[in-house]
Amino acid sequence: MTSGSGDGGSVLLRVDGVGKTYVSRERTVQALAGIDLAVRDGEFVSVVGPSGGGKTTLLKIVAGLLPATAGEVVLGGRRVTEPPAELGIVFQEYGRSLFAWKTVRENVELPLRQRRTPKAERRALVDEALEAVGLDGVGTAYPWQLSGGMQQRVAIARAIAYRPRLLLMDEPFSAVDAQTRGDLEDLLARLWRRYAITVLFITHDIDEAVYLSERVVVLGSAPAAVRAEIAVDLPAERDQLSTRSDPRFAELRAQVYAQIRRPPADAGPVASASIRQETVTT
Amino acid sequence: MTARRSRALAGARGVGYALGLPVVLLALWWVAGDGSANIFLPSLREILDAFGRVWFSDVFVHDVVPSLWRLAAGYGAALLAGVAAGYVIGRWAVVRALASPALAYFRVLPAPVIIPVLLVAVGIGDTTKLIVIAFGALWPILLNTADGVRGVDEVTLETAAAYRLTGWARHRLVLRAASPQIFAGARQALGVAIILMVVSEMLMSTDGLGFTVIQFQRTFAFPEMWSGVLLLGVLGFVLAKLFELVERYALRWHRGLTGRQEGSS
Ligand SMILES: Nc1ncnc2c1ncn2[C@@H]1O[C@H](COP(=O)(O)OP(=O)(O)OP(=O)(O)O)[C@@H](O)[C@H]1O
Ligand SMILES: [Mg+2]
Repeated sequence: MTSGSGDGGSVLLRVDGVGKTYVSRERTVQALAGIDLAVRDGEFVSVVGPSGGGKTTLLKIVAGLLPATAGEVVLGGRRVTEPPAELGIVFQEYGRSLFAWKTVRENVELPLRQRRTPKAERRALVDEALEAVGLDGVGTAYPWQLSGGMQQRVAIARAIAYRPRLLLMDEPFSAVDAQTRGDLEDLLARLWRRYAITVLFITHDIDEAVYLSERVVVLGSAPAAVRAEIAVDLPAERDQLSTRSDPRFAELRAQVYAQIRRPPADAGPVASASIRQETVTT
Repeated sequence: MTARRSRALAGARGVGYALGLPVVLLALWWVAGDGSANIFLPSLREILDAFGRVWFSDVFVHDVVPSLWRLAAGYGAALLAGVAAGYVIGRWAVVRALASPALAYFRVLPAPVIIPVLLVAVGIGDTTKLIVIAFGALWPILLNTADGVRGVDEVTLETAAAYRLTGWARHRLVLRAASPQIFAGARQALGVAIILMVVSEMLMSTDGLGFTVIQFQRTFAFPEMWSGVLLLGVLGFVLAKLFELVERYALRWHRGLTGRQEGSS
């Protein structure tokens, strides 16, 4: 294990040597080459990596939606073979993940209904989630009547209304403007702190990864392995203005950036361990 | 205020477009055919006369009601069987692989050819007519349902799985996602069912609309025969409109449908 999950809190999610090779008639693609990762209960971990590097693949395997071809995923001591209970998810293809025949409100409500949450509580959760993402006015609209950014917020509302124990998000803010993006980041940070959710957050945006997380995991290009893990030692209370202008913030994002840009030849667990050392000593 | 008025205007225009051509054609027929000496092509006045006489009588109970009943039962059976079989075929690749050769054969087989077979095997009763109607209407429904179910978006299914929508919830979800195609198949099947109802009654029946029309023709009652043709047209039109109402309600969420509504007004 190369992850820095030793310090406090039990491990909720363990990804052990997970590999994935897609085999179809035309071609064979190795997307993941042995991912090792451990996430503590209540931790916020971001995953960054190049496009086509296997991030979505990893997320789907963790969600129990896709079988790994090597290794295993263990969540709360149980091996994941199907989607576990109390899992919230926001897909990269947010538009296609909404149920087209249901209104915005019904979309957010459906998982709660399935879980048999009592009606009054359900209504309160849905109202709160829709308001939190700034969509309280459009509950009766159908998804196609919304803009891309609004659809994305519906998917986010659905995930947070569910009050998951583990929240998986695949580039969930990719379609919203900078202002909304900042608001949603802060919303997510608040919810994470308030409800002790464990978050695995995939993003292309290095600043966002550093701003939100306790730890940033850098994946290499496909077939991906963990290239580096960088502990984010910024104060727990973060703020768009002061945190982002903190010199330490700039250092951390430079580190993440350097890891992403590093040529793949010298990538490997050794390098990732040394980086961890670095962040601890600085 | 102005929005409402313009919508009302648009509505009136829509009705005008819908009724315009038929009214003109009927008027032409009325004028041109008036005093027609050709007994095979009676005037519209005579036909309408006959229409009232023939159909607003106990013929309605004896012939129209049985026809409608057969249509409803045959079509209903095709709906149930078509959606169920189409679902299974669309959902599981193994079933699809097993069923495709047979499907390819049946989809091109003209339904009326089973009439002689059924006459021998089942006899001339209502069952035969029901089977013919159901058999013909089945294929469009089944094939469209299978296509629709197969084409349900992968991400939608993954979302459902992640939120643990399993069992019945999942079946319902898949059917709902496929419903635009299911409706397309059902609309096509409705037309087929009406045709087969008439054909089967013409070929092997002692009552029903198809039988009555043939009967009038054999007894040289041409205005009456024409009134039957008219009635069948009206029946087809009304059923298509009813279908459209149901479809509009069930697919009110659907972009294509809503777009069509807006575009056509
Ligand atoms: N269903 C699939 N069948 C075959 N190959 C796949 C499939 N899904 C993904 N791949 C391949 O696996 C590799 C990783 O894809 P993945 O979607 O996980 O990348 P990603 O890191 O999420 O990329 P992005 O940042 O662009 O979303 C790619 O080369 C892709 O072509
Ligand atoms: Mg991806």
